[in-house]
Amino acid sequence: MTTNVTSEVRASYAYKTATNRLGLWLFLLSDSFVFGGLLVSRFYLLGNTRPHLDQTLGLIVTAMLLVSSFFMNRAETAIAHGDEKTFLRGTLITLVLGVAFLLGVVGVEWRLAPFGPADDVVGAVFYMMTGMHAFHVLTGVIFLGIVYRNGRKGLYSAEKHWQVEAAAVYWHFVDVVWIFFYPALYLIGTVAG
Amino acid sequence: MSATKRVNIFSLSLVRGIVFQILGTLVGIGVVTLIRLLMGLPAWKAEPAGVFGAFLGVLFFLVGAGTIRDWYKMALGEPVSDHHAADPEQPGWAKYFNISYDHKVIGIQYGVTSVVVMLLAGSFALIFRAELARAGLQLIELDMFNTLVGLHGIVMIASILLGVGAMSNYLVPLLIGASDMAFPRLNAFAYWVNVPGALLVVSSLFLGGFDTGWTGYPPLSARAPLGMQMFFLGVYFIGLSSILGSLNLIVTVIRMRAPGMSYFRMPIFVWAAVATSIIGLTATQLIGLSFQMVMFQRLFGMGFFDPAKGGNVILFQHLFWFYSHPAVYVFILPGLGIISELLPVFVRKPLFGYKWIAMSSLGIALVGFFVWAHHMFTAGMEEYLRVPFMYSTLLVAVPTGVKFFSWVGTMWRGRMSFETPMLFTLGAVSIFLLGGLTGPPNATVATDLHLQDSYWIVGHFHATMFGGFVFPWFAAIYYWFPKFTGKMYNEKLGKLHFWLMFPAFYLMSLGQMRVGLLGMRRRIADYDPALGFDNTQTLVTIAGYVIAFSVLLFLFNLVRSIRSGEVAVANPWNSRSPEFQLPSPIPEHNYAEHPFVVVGEPYDYGLADAEYVRFGAASEPAAAD
Amino acid sequence: MKHFILVAILVAILTVAVGTGLSAIGLMPEQASLQSVFIDQLFQKHVWTISFLFALIIGFMLYSIVVFRRKEDEQGDHFEGNTPLEIVWTIIPLITVLYFAYLGSQALAEVRRADPNATNITAVGQQWSWRFEYTDYGFISDELRLPVNRQSLIMTTSTDVIHSFWVPEFRVKQDALPGDGMERELRITPTKVGRYKVRCAELCGTQHAYMLADVIVMEPEAFDQWVQEQMQGPSGTPVERGAEWYQQFGCAACHSIDGTPRVGPSWKGLFGEEVTLADGSTVIADEAYLFESIRDPQAKIVQGFETVLMPPTGQSMTDEQVQDVIEFIKSLSEQESD
Ligand code: HEA
Ligand code: HEA
Ligand code: HEC
Ligand code: CUA
Ligand SMILES: [Cu+2]
Repeated sequence: MTTNVTSEVRASYAYKTATNRLGLWLFLLSDSFVFGGLLVSRFYLLGNTRPHLDQTLGLIVTAMLLVSSFFMNRAETAIAHGDEKTFLRGTLITLVLGVAFLLGVVGVEWRLAPFGPADDVVGAVFYMMTGMHAFHVLTGVIFLGIVYRNGRKGLYSAEKHWQVEAAAVYWHFVDVVWIFFYPALYLIGTVAG
Repeated sequence: MSATKRVNIFSLSLVRGIVFQILGTLVGIGVVTLIRLLMGLPAWKAEPAGVFGAFLGVLFFLVGAGTIRDWYKMALGEPVSDHHAADPEQPGWAKYFNISYDHKVIGIQYGVTSVVVMLLAGSFALIFRAELARAGLQLIELDMFNTLVGLHGIVMIASILLGVGAMSNYLVPLLIGASDMAFPRLNAFAYWVNVPGALLVVSSLFLGGFDTGWTGYPPLSARAPLGMQMFFLGVYFIGLSSILGSLNLIVTVIRMRAPGMSYFRMPIFVWAAVATSIIGLTATQLIGLSFQMVMFQRLFGMGFFDPAKGGNVILFQHLFWFYSHPAVYVFILPGLGIISELLPVFVRKPLFGYKWIAMSSLGIALVGFFVWAHHMFTAGMEEYLRVPFMYSTLLVAVPTGVKFFSWVGTMWRGRMSFETPMLFTLGAVSIFLLGGLTGPPNATVATDLHLQDSYWIVGHFHATMFGGFVFPWFAAIYYWFPKFTGKMYNEKLGKLHFWLMFPAFYLMSLGQMRVGLLGMRRRIADYDPALGFDNTQTLVTIAGYVIAFSVLLFLFNLVRSIRSGEVAVANPWNSRSPEFQLPSPIPEHNYAEHPFVVVGEPYDYGLADAEYVRFGAASEPAAAD
Repeated sequence: MKHFILVAILVAILTVAVGTGLSAIGLMPEQASLQSVFIDQLFQKHVWTISFLFALIIGFMLYSIVVFRRKEDEQGDHFEGNTPLEIVWTIIPLITVLYFAYLGSQALAEVRRADPNATNITAVGQQWSWRFEYTDYGFISDELRLPVNRQSLIMTTSTDVIHSFWVPEFRVKQDALPGDGMERELRITPTKVGRYKVRCAELCGTQHAYMLADVIVMEPEAFDQWVQEQMQGPSGTPVERGAEWYQQFGCAACHSIDGTPRVGPSWKGLFGEEVTLADGSTVIADEAYLFESIRDPQAKIVQGFETVLMPPTGQSMTDEQVQDVIEFIKSLSEQESD
């Protein structure tokens, strides 16, 4: 596929972006092994039981994260069409929803949970899974913050917005991970203890 | 121009990094102590303070060394340059201690670090081997012995990973005709993160050590001294390097090949490097996760592997081996690639079955993902897993066999010559054969019930690692030495190195296997003289020292040759590979002045006028002969 | 063709030389169990396969090195591969390894063959000693005595970290895991009367090298008699019984009774002394303290021993046994005041 590419083409933004894109997807492949490992650990240790958690809260944070992905997608499409205003608004909404998710999980759920990380293996699994996911959401939020700041400075255009694309893809990835984690923690099995 | 260029040592990234690391460690310790104070807890607790300090120390190192400066600028939307030219004010060697984006410099940085680290790990082995020369306790205490064994193992493995990084970074862009890796900054970062990581691993020696061997099984590792945490954290960062390096390599190979170089016209080493990187990219995450879980168990009381809290110790072993088995193929695939790469050159004959060899690398890598539990046959894992994992494990013999038979096919009816790189290549084939063939007895469960955790296994894996990594690694260093330095090594010393190391290795490995079958357990400082193998043990120790001596000769040879060796010609081996058509040493921007297109097959030795690469007319390479 | 015939002869000679050589030096230790027979048979097949394959590749290599070495500046013959050949040397090893996998599962099945009348023994590993609970008869021993030619079903378990039960002469090995429901089984049918040793084969901390236990394989009658003796339990005074428990529960691995330093505090002169704890406070080593220290070792940690965890062995002792041990510890202080 690349065997006849000249060095001028190689130096172009489009070629570099395609290279970056490949790198990003490989990184996500790699990262998904961490989450795979966490899921396997969860089923190995807890089997058909699950932690005792607040179902309403779980539903709310999940909904927020899913909706945020929609806005991120809108933001990315917008910048691809040169629509800076929609892009900025979409990014900001995503960012706010991301922060709200973090507050919901780390700020509220961690407090509400009737167990601590050191109590038993159920707690250990719950805090590890949500913690690792929250860490990724946090990096995503920081990434979005950078994109938002650079967007306001007008650094992106319809042709050149790799950073936006990367942030969006990463954000969708974090979202997809939660689509697996949410049922694993909130829905599957009977409540432990 | 002053004759002596002086260097302010604080301008060197390495020095700045280490200073920052010390600083960061202190800050981390301070922060934890302060927080504890504010929370009304007893202020001093070594474990959280030490771990957080170590963690922050690594981050500080990376900042201090300057690895993330460009990314920071990029995040702010400022322009950055891809080429990070060496400071002309500084002498030539200084660039190796600084951040460089040149894959050749990074390759050498990896390589030198690998050798330094191997010396360290080898010295640990020499110490505990002296203890093992006779039954009884003579030299070191039990805890020290355990720490040394574990450190020897993990530091050697780190050395291998660095060596693999060296080969793939230095060689792959040259072999595929690229000017650099796809992501030069990431490349530099992936190298530099090893340095603080390795420092942490070694620091465990001074923080109580750890008594678990390199495998770090809980619950023992959950109660080992603080050194255990440094081991976990250090390996975690070295693993991060593997992941990023692998990613970079795969992208480079897919995106950066020279015009005309289809996948089946790439030099065979590139295939091996890609197969290796597939493992490094994915499986490495799992050892990181398993170590992180033990770290958190120790820090926060999370009971993943604590039976009292409903945890399960077997889970750790599954996660650990899911990486650590495929990792052994990371150790060997590049080495086997080197063998396939060098054989045709010294046999003057095409590589036999190029496609089969290329595919067998992928085959080994992929099957390698499904065999991990063969390390757990006696561990008390799920009974029903034993037989399926026996089948999958034995399957690996098939693609490995394809390689061996194809090598024999390559040698058959060739015209062999025996310079030092070729000697090491042939030595590698025979030693790896020994190591590989001792694998199936471990794999058939019933026999493994006897062999597991005995010195037979120690013999098995030293043979695979020497044959699959150490010997090819030396072959590669000798072979490409003129390209690194522009000088030729001393052939006599090189041959002496081989003729000492090769027989000594057989003695060591066979000796280990022998005592293992007779009942010698792994990781013991003292053995029962009633077992009656004292003398074999002494021989193993002596052999170990001979190997060490030969490594010293190797170092002496390199240092002397760099200083006062003969100036090397461009293509001393008459190789067809593109990098040998460039002058020695390789120019800073590789093929920038000498772009080429691929017009033929890589290994058409012995066929008159068969071209592999054709250089642009305007840029007749300096040394095509 | 001439080349191939010569190589074939070379490979044949090498195979026989390596194979007979390896078989002659006696690779394995004494064969002392029924299980080891199957394992050794399989291993012997491996030895011959290894000999052949090693001879095959090395034979071809040596021949090429000698016959096809470069004399002048020549080039080799030009051939790039041979697909039928590649297929052959993929298929034949494939069949070979599948055959070995079959043999392996057969041998495994033999090794695991269950005898319903097996003697039940639980082997408990703890840092750094073994304890054997004869569950059929209800007594505990610190040495493993087995009747010859009768199967024993050994359940391995651990009170602290992972250990591994291995008697090289019996060939079989099984890790002993901590945790409820983590008992794992091992079946051994000894075939030779004699003395052997259990050698802990999993790194388990400082004294791993010395975690051994005696194995004594006896005639069935002698074994039955020994069982009878044991079932009566140690008679005598509480102090004598305490001394017995001290050995059997593995306290001796860490606590000396003559003041010599081991990984735990010595019991000599302990009773009635003031003990400094890790947090700096002090307690008097009275009966209540000793009782707690045995039942719940982590409740009060002695200063200077923070890094070693005492196993919770005491929890599987009866109150009387703990009391005996305390009497025994007391006696160690009384002697001193004499
Ligand atoms: C470089 C590393 C390397 C390599 C390449 C291998 C290769 C193999 N290993 Fe090894 N192994 C280790 C490094 C390696 N190993 C290490 C480090 C350990 C110990 C870890 C620890 O506990 O610390 C270990 C332990 C280990 C165990 C666990 C032992 C135990 O602890 O109980 C097992 C069990 O199955 C095993 C099997 C194999 C097999 C079947 C191969 C196969 O891939 C070999 C295949 C090759 C051949 C078979 C030879 C060539 C083939 C032919 C000529 C074709 C014809 C062959 C046949 C028909 C058989 N290895
Ligand atoms: C590449 C990998 C590699 C290499 C090259 C080696 C090399 C050697 N190994 Fe290693 N070994 C392992 C990987 C390796 N090992 C692993 C993974 C383990 C398992 C650990 C565990 O169980 O956890 C192990 C375990 C292991 C054991 C088992 C320990 C035990 O279970 O108790 C033994 C025992 O004989 C041993 C011996 C040796 C010896 C004598 C050498 C010799 O070849 C070493 C030769 C010496 C050098 C190469 C260095 C030369 C140094 C000098 C000349 C001194 C100068 C020094 C300075 C200037 C600083 N090794
Ligand atoms: C793995 C080593 C180990 C084993 C085995 C062990 N102990 Fe201990 N023991 C220790 C250590 C270490 C301490 C000191 C730290 C503590 O108090 O937990 C200790 C403390 C004690 C104390 C308090 C001693 C003092 O000086 O205050 C008593 C009593 C005791 N052990 C009894 C026993 C008995 C009874 C057994 C056998 C059933 C036993 N120990 C087995 C390691 C061990
Ligand atoms: Cu118990 Cu080693
Ligand atoms: Cu393996």
